Amino acid sequence: MKSVPMLSSAFLHPAGHSLPEPLLALRKERASALVDMPLPTRKTENWKYSSKYLKLADDMAISLPAEGKTGNSLAVPGYKVVFLNGVMIPEASEYPDLDGIQITSFNDLDADEANALAARLGHTLDHAQAQFARLNGARFEDGLLVRLKAGAVLDQPLFIIHETSADASGSAYPRIFVEAGANSQLTLVEEYTSTGQASALISTVTEFSLAEGANVTSVRLNMEGENVQHIGATGVRQQRSSRFESHCVGFGGPLRRHDLQVRLEGEGAETKLNGVVVTQGKQHYDNHTSIDHVAAHCNSEETYRNIAADQSHAVFNGRIHIHQDAQKSNADMNNKNLLLSNGAEIDTKPELEIYADDVKCAHGATIGQLDETSVFYLVSRGIDRRQANVLLTMAFINELVEQIPVAVVRETAQARLSDFFEQTFREA
Amino acid sequence: MATTDNEVKELIKREYEHGFVTEIESDTFEPGLNEDVIARLSAIKKEPEWMLEWRLKAYRRWLEMEEPDWAHVGYPKVDYNSISYYSAPKRKEDMPQSLDEVDPELLKTYEKLGIPLHEREKLAGVAVDAVFDSVSVATTFKEPLAKAGVVFCSISEAVHDYPELVKKYLGTVVPQGDNFFAALNSAVFSDGTFVYIPKGVRCPMELSTYFRINAANTGQFERTLIIAEEGSYVSYLEGCTAPMRDENQLHAAVVELVALDDAQIKYSTVQNWYPGDEEGKGGIYNFVTKRGACIGKNSKISWTQVETGSAVTWKYPSCVLRGENSVGEFYSVALTHNFQQADTGTKMIHLGKNTRSTIISKGISAGKSSNAYRGLVKFGPGAEGARNFTQCDSLLIGDRCGAHTFPYIESKNKSAIVEHEATTSKVSDEQMFLCRQRGIDPEQAVSMIVNGFCKEVFKELPMEFAVEAGKLLEVSLEGSVG
Repeated sequence: MKSVPMLSSAFLHPAGHSLPEPLLALRKERASALVDMPLPTRKTENWKYSSKYLKLADDMAISLPAEGKTGNSLAVPGYKVVFLNGVMIPEASEYPDLDGIQITSFNDLDADEANALAARLGHTLDHAQAQFARLNGARFEDGLLVRLKAGAVLDQPLFIIHETSADASGSAYPRIFVEAGANSQLTLVEEYTSTGQASALISTVTEFSLAEGANVTSVRLNMEGENVQHIGATGVRQQRSSRFESHCVGFGGPLRRHDLQVRLEGEGAETKLNGVVVTQGKQHYDNHTSIDHVAAHCNSEETYRNIAADQSHAVFNGRIHIHQDAQKSNADMNNKNLLLSNGAEIDTKPELEIYADDVKCAHGATIGQLDETSVFYLVSRGIDRRQANVLLTMAFINELVEQIPVAVVRETAQARLSDFFEQTFREA
Repeated sequence: MATTDNEVKELIKREYEHGFVTEIESDTFEPGLNEDVIARLSAIKKEPEWMLEWRLKAYRRWLEMEEPDWAHVGYPKVDYNSISYYSAPKRKEDMPQSLDEVDPELLKTYEKLGIPLHEREKLAGVAVDAVFDSVSVATTFKEPLAKAGVVFCSISEAVHDYPELVKKYLGTVVPQGDNFFAALNSAVFSDGTFVYIPKGVRCPMELSTYFRINAANTGQFERTLIIAEEGSYVSYLEGCTAPMRDENQLHAAVVELVALDDAQIKYSTVQNWYPGDEEGKGGIYNFVTKRGACIGKNSKISWTQVETGSAVTWKYPSCVLRGENSVGEFYSVALTHNFQQADTGTKMIHLGKNTRSTIISKGISAGKSSNAYRGLVKFGPGAEGARNFTQCDSLLIGDRCGAHTFPYIESKNKSAIVEHEATTSKVSDEQMFLCRQRGIDPEQAVSMIVNGFCKEVFKELPMEFAVEAGKLLEVSLEGSVG
């Protein structure tokens, strides 16, 4: 028996003690539970394809300092909160004081609020599946609480800019908790960027709790640099007739991982998950999604597209779990993949686990290359082959990118993707 | 649906047809497993030294391995030291020399099972090798097969008569240390079937093996090796049954297929081991490793399986597509009822250029059973132009059963194309209404609908098996609607 690698104890010492007492206590409790946490290996089912990319040197355990200038972010049209290395920077953030809507840094919560939050932090996630959400729980130094009272509507998207700035090795652990009251509405954009050349680890957790009739749209744009390992988890719990929509756009890196877990707990809840991933060079990206149909009469729809070029590696794992009483569930999952090079690898695993009989569930997955007849069609009309490749590859994912409801994100993503393909095919 | 309920209750009580025990004297080893047991087993079979070494090597590997727990099944762990690793019907003299010498009790068993050896001989022209507990009892049709140059005998005979072939191929497709159950089988396999089809020969008849576990507290570990030389063709059928017993019995078989250039092997299974009773008591643990290697170019291996029995099934007939243009196929119907659990599927490993594979899997779950498809489609970097199509459909009957799909798809070649589809549905009220309106009773209606659902797979089965499979489904499904 080979010994299993463990999480280095260096990772168990959180920094930053300005959190309210209940959250500090929670963090301590979570940290003690992390002693002897085995690191994922090739034998760990949900890290099977990605464990080899995970590099957790001891110097990475040091919390990155939340100092220095922020920049490099989207020209934000709506409200904005800036996090630098996992800590909120109030000076760079702009959001109004709106009736029925609370946007507060964890550090600024009063004792009652902190107690209430501590009781619920992490309750949207299955930590057995998202192991690194536990690391975040033991290490977060700050976070953002977004609370919408019943009927509250945020009139513009709320942008949360997560910036990682690493001049020396280290890690950051930002955390977001969104509580959407009955019939409230919110669009939340999370953007992940980075500056600095040192190798860094960012472990994120974003949680959404949707009360009856709440309507939340989440957009996640992952564009960190080549030195940042990103392990993120998003947990969603939905009550009756609520609606959740997620749009994730991810660019590859040394290690990119996003776990997205949705639980449909009230009848009539609906969820829609879209995702686009592109990787090149020796990059990696791994999306793990799971949708739990706990209550009856819920709908879920999931579409993920991956494109892998050069020697890169893209992974998709989608799981739909229909619980015993979730009759009349409708679930549809679709994953299509483009492999642009022979050195690249795509692994996909669309799983269904069904315990109710009166349901409609389907999934489909494909892996292939660009259709030669389509390329020929364009070439025969005078478009050069390279351009034809760019056009068709863009078309493959644009179907999903187009659905992003926030114009500035959509356009940024499209421009970045277009550059990405130009570059990929120029080299080819 | 009140009347239906009553009919259903009547039918639900219908028991496992093949659950009788044959009263014959048998030689059985004391339960337990160690190197001595393996040596004794090998000695009884008068095996050459290399065979014993091979077994011991597997046994030592096995000792270091852990029982896999990743499958979507739950069962009390097997105590490998409480099983007897050899049981053979006691023979009055030596091996039976012809059918006439076979113990009439045994022949009766097969008749009850619906395989009258004599009748088959006349009617179907199927050559049957019947394996009873651990040893091969009789092989029919040896002569006409020999005339064609086909070798069809028990693996124990093959070890003596064709040692160079056995040495060359045994363990090349499923190595001794492949997995826990394969290692166990490699150490203690007691008998099985050996088939060799020489170059350019089309096997003149369907070959078939019937497996039966009879003795209590025994495990059955048979090993099948089929070698199809260049340009040859063989179709092989396999059927299984076991008596009803309260305790669980272990069946851990290994099947290896080797197809050389332009060769074709068609392997069909109708598995109807005792599934346990309504409370989930007893039944066979069916932990089987089946794999075929398409070594030669243009070779083809096709697996067809109808799985209706066993308490727990853990079985993934696979194809390693090494040769250029080679083809792998997997057609499966898996039906689970009461407390049965099945985790079955296939692996298609594409290594050669222009290799193609098709997977059609139909899972039907009823009662409180759990039925999972687990499959792997893998394209290596050399699988230029390879192609796979996978379709997994599940049908749920009743709201306390589970249907699961775990497909792994891995591609390292950009020109390879894989398509995977899966759906889940139930027998809809509309379909039932349509049938009932036309005077078809509910049982028959369900059976019709299910048969339609499985048609794609049944049409791959040889004629007589297709009929048997249809009948099996009907019997297994009875009592599942309401």
